[in-house]
Amino acid sequence: MTAAITTVGLSKQFGSTIALDHLDLAVPTGSVFGFLGPNGAGKTTTIRMLMGLARPSTGYATVLGLDATRDRDEVHRRVGYLPGDFTAYADLTGGEYLDYLGRLRADADPRRREELVDRLELDVSRTIRTLSRGNRQKVGLVQAFMHNPDLLVLDEPTSGLDPLMQRQFREIASAARAAGSTVFLSSHVLGEVEEIADTVAIVKEGRLVVVDALEHLKERARRHIELTFRDPPPASTFDSIPGVRDVTVLDHTIRLVIEGSMEAVFRAAAPLGVENVVADHAPLDEILIGYYESDSS
Amino acid sequence: MNRFVIFTKTIRDQRRGIFAWGISIAALVVVMALMWPTVRDMPDLKRLLSNYPEALRKIFKIDTYGTPAGYLNAELFSLILPAVFLVFSIGRGARLIAGEEEDHTLDVLLCAAPSRSRVAFEKAAALVVTVGALGGILFMTMLLSSWAIDMRLAIGDIARGTIAVTALSIEFGLLALAVGAISGRRSTAAGISTLIAAAAFVLYLLGQLITAFEPWRGLSPFTQALDHGPLGPEWSIGTIAMCACGAAVFAAALPRFTRRDIRT
Repeated sequence: MTAAITTVGLSKQFGSTIALDHLDLAVPTGSVFGFLGPNGAGKTTTIRMLMGLARPSTGYATVLGLDATRDRDEVHRRVGYLPGDFTAYADLTGGEYLDYLGRLRADADPRRREELVDRLELDVSRTIRTLSRGNRQKVGLVQAFMHNPDLLVLDEPTSGLDPLMQRQFREIASAARAAGSTVFLSSHVLGEVEEIADTVAIVKEGRLVVVDALEHLKERARRHIELTFRDPPPASTFDSIPGVRDVTVLDHTIRLVIEGSMEAVFRAAAPLGVENVVADHAPLDEILIGYYESDSS
Repeated sequence: MNRFVIFTKTIRDQRRGIFAWGISIAALVVVMALMWPTVRDMPDLKRLLSNYPEALRKIFKIDTYGTPAGYLNAELFSLILPAVFLVFSIGRGARLIAGEEEDHTLDVLLCAAPSRSRVAFEKAAALVVTVGALGGILFMTMLLSSWAIDMRLAIGDIARGTIAVTALSIEFGLLALAVGAISGRRSTAAGISTLIAAAAFVLYLLGQLITAFEPWRGLSPFTQALDHGPLGPEWSIGTIAMCACGAAVFAAALPRFTRRDIRT
């Protein structure tokens, strides 16, 4: 299967700042690809080069087999794009704005647009100026999806959306994949992409840290766990478990960080009379730190 | 394929602006025209005017002040109307691309439009039509005022005057659009265009007052627009020169606009 997006040595330099440093990526056709990294990692720079809004300093990107710079207009026809700082004309209503883009794009599908508006519960009769940030983002999502593009390039698509709408978005994105589209989305939070992404790439400081199937990545994810016991527990029980670190004891509670499977921790905790367990989602930075530390060791 | 979608929207966006600026310009013309009978009937007008300094007499063509066309040239067409038109035109020109870029609405537009040059062309066409509409309002007001106050201006003279002012401001409006397309900054676009307009105006003035500058004065768009009137019977190739120059500046900016990075 050919890749929907390929970048080869893709780099971007602004003055003396290297925003992106030799990025090599291949996004499989028909997949949902999560492009992760902390703010300022080079995600938006990459996406703008894919969309031909910026030119690579060196290297190149192909999108749907087309050169992102040379064949920009054809790329635009076949790609749905949501910019990271999506802004629509404040004086238009959502409906007028979508009409405008629909007239510009000869292939916009009115029924598809209606369906998206319904699913996202967007009131298209309101002036964009009066919409909340989340509702403006919905306008951006509708315009990206409404012409049934072969590829969706979405920069932080769920920013500003409430959890219910984030779920709606995930369903829309999954459905687009099921219909044969490829979805490339960026985020700085793993939780936003982990339910839908097949593959995840992590960038930091302009460099690719890892590309892997999400399954593998999760196995390596670090989690913070807090175990509360009936009686004050001995810290030494957990110190020796492989993958466990930063064990702290406070009264009846043990806090620790674990990388990989939690099985051994629970085996050790069960006989000590564990009363409560709190495990948080591994924030992306924790995974990144995990990768950096394993890189240097 | 829908044609001129961006053009239509841009014109639509300018509706209120054209209305407000049109009313202001019409009011300006009507007020000055209403004062004409009083000026005409002033005793010793000729003697009063001959006391004007030589420089002002040249610049405002005081020698023809006693005629309706001369009066309106001096009071409106030599300075105020070109200035008002230029402010409007440069402001719009700077906003059309650079303004959208600064507002972050340009990204989606460029990705939905058939091509970048198409966006630029339609915006430029909309600018020309918008400024042209303002010129049309000026023409109609002049025509009605001339008729109502019995100034007996020839339609051709009015046309020559309004077209000159309109073409002048279209030229600088296209310059502002071009600089905005290259730089992506509205303030740069408006600033550079205003600076060049001011320099051109100074050249026009110096060309009339100082012999050494005379050979160069033809280069100034203000000379091309304001010489022989602009209200008056003499048509020059200046109008064509102004339009051609504006179009050339815009065309020169296109390759850079289609290739450069869009600001975030």
